[in-house]
Amino acid sequence: MDLVLKLLHGGAGSLAAYLAAHVLLCLLPAFFIAGAMAALIPKASITRWLGRSTPAHVSYPAAAAAGSLLAVCSCTIVPLFAGIYRKGAGIGPAITFLFFAPAGNIMALAYTGSILGPEFAAARVLFCLLFGIGIGLLMALLFWKDDASHDAQTDTLFAEQASVGPAAKGLLLSLVAVLIAGTLKLWPLTETFASLRLPLSWAADWQATLFGWVPFDAAKGEEGVSLQGSVLIALLLLIAAAAWKGMENIIEGPNRWTWVTLGLAATTLLVAALGLTPVAGGLEVGLTGRVLAVAASLWACWHFARQLDADDRQAWLWESWRFVKQIFLLLVVGVFIVGMVRQLIKPEWIESLAGSNTLQANAVAVFFGVFMYFPTLVEVPVARMFLDLGMHPGPLLAYLMADPELSLQSMLMVAAVIGRQKTAAYVGLVALFSVCAGLLYGAWVDGLGWLPLSLALGLFIAVLAAGLAWLRQRQRQRRAAST
Amino acid sequence: MLTVKILGSGCANCKKLEAVAREAASQAGIEADFIKVTDMQAIMAYDLLSTPGLVLNDKLVSSGRIPTVAEVQGWLASA
Repeated sequence: MDLVLKLLHGGAGSLAAYLAAHVLLCLLPAFFIAGAMAALIPKASITRWLGRSTPAHVSYPAAAAAGSLLAVCSCTIVPLFAGIYRKGAGIGPAITFLFFAPAGNIMALAYTGSILGPEFAAARVLFCLLFGIGIGLLMALLFWKDDASHDAQTDTLFAEQASVGPAAKGLLLSLVAVLIAGTLKLWPLTETFASLRLPLSWAADWQATLFGWVPFDAAKGEEGVSLQGSVLIALLLLIAAAAWKGMENIIEGPNRWTWVTLGLAATTLLVAALGLTPVAGGLEVGLTGRVLAVAASLWACWHFARQLDADDRQAWLWESWRFVKQIFLLLVVGVFIVGMVRQLIKPEWIESLAGSNTLQANAVAVFFGVFMYFPTLVEVPVARMFLDLGMHPGPLLAYLMADPELSLQSMLMVAAVIGRQKTAAYVGLVALFSVCAGLLYGAWVDGLGWLPLSLALGLFIAVLAAGLAWLRQRQRQRRAAST
Repeated sequence: MLTVKILGSGCANCKKLEAVAREAASQAGIEADFIKVTDMQAIMAYDLLSTPGLVLNDKLVSSGRIPTVAEVQGWLASA
């Protein structure tokens, strides 16, 4: 019984700390950005670079861009993957797209950056881009005969052209500005310009009560819930209640609750940017540079959103709300379970399995990533738990690379589209490349200089370039032979 | 009799699209046969790059977004 209580308490504590500290300033704008990308970027603006006749040096980067900009959920990933493979640029770019989508999209980036740190987000994107293109090229080399048989099909699907309108561009940039203003830990954002003391005598007591409810151990990397955090959780609950009435039928037009929801969301971001510190006999409210930056970029969002067509605006809000419904609940449950499991895992286990950057540790991490399936984004809090328990950053990156790429669900999906043999090759390559990524990143964290690191990366790129040249020559020969 | 096909693997948008299409048909007093297509191979037979897709009498009228009830009624009337 004690154990069950301890587990539940661990889960609730980690959930409360997450909601209060991390989620708001990064995930709230990220949901709106993901919605804007899904609703406002016409697919044809990128997919026209993914037709069959596009040269490889255009189609592979375009596939990565499609993964990053268009694919935030499986509604887009599967059809686009199948379309690129069967009717478009072929298996290489299709694989690049598939590999890059889970790590290169805005939600994964923002979330990884705010929970594990910007270095992890940068390493994840860099390695995914490099290895996504690498694995795509290797698959194209291995299965080039197969691509030839698709050549007979028509190419109308990728012929359409479109571009992103100026209001949509402005809105996207302003939303990214909100995200950056809210999360970057840089001067002048962190500077407090003015402060105000409110005579709220209950503030200090309330903070003490909160720490009593959610006790934490800073040495173990746990976080408590601050007074500001409790205000934010309350605002979050209000948004949830209002959004259900205001967003569910947004396609047919906004109602009163829509405006309440949006107002609350903006208030939440502003409150989260304030510095609230309970002091003796009152509450000190600090006006930080962050508040001004967030307010300015929110105003820009409002300005550009008003210029959008009503249809586009409603589609944007609907997509954002859909992402919230789809991802947020899973994330909440995931974080709760991670908090419970954490009470059971002893740091010594992690320490002995993956405490240092060895080949074995990286392989274990990848193995774990392949056989555990976590829903979208839950891999990030799981990774945070491992990091706090003493896992080396190298194997941790290997795990982060392998987990979203190689879950059982994505393997089944890939197998349905490209067949078992190719899926096996893909899984093998991803596992191999993830181990390499982990070893390289771990070596960098351990203090390996830039010279050997850039040599290793340079060698990798040279091998890829040679493969690409060979592929192009082969294609040219084939084309010459067929005419 | 009109055939309405909803293309999609069962994600939230596909369910929403079906609800919108059914609403449009019942408001317009049109009797239609609703078919949900979830098989990826069958979906890819149509030219679309993202689901959900709406097909009226084997013609793809919208994909990758959720139309309004009024829009669907317009398509139903001209189908």
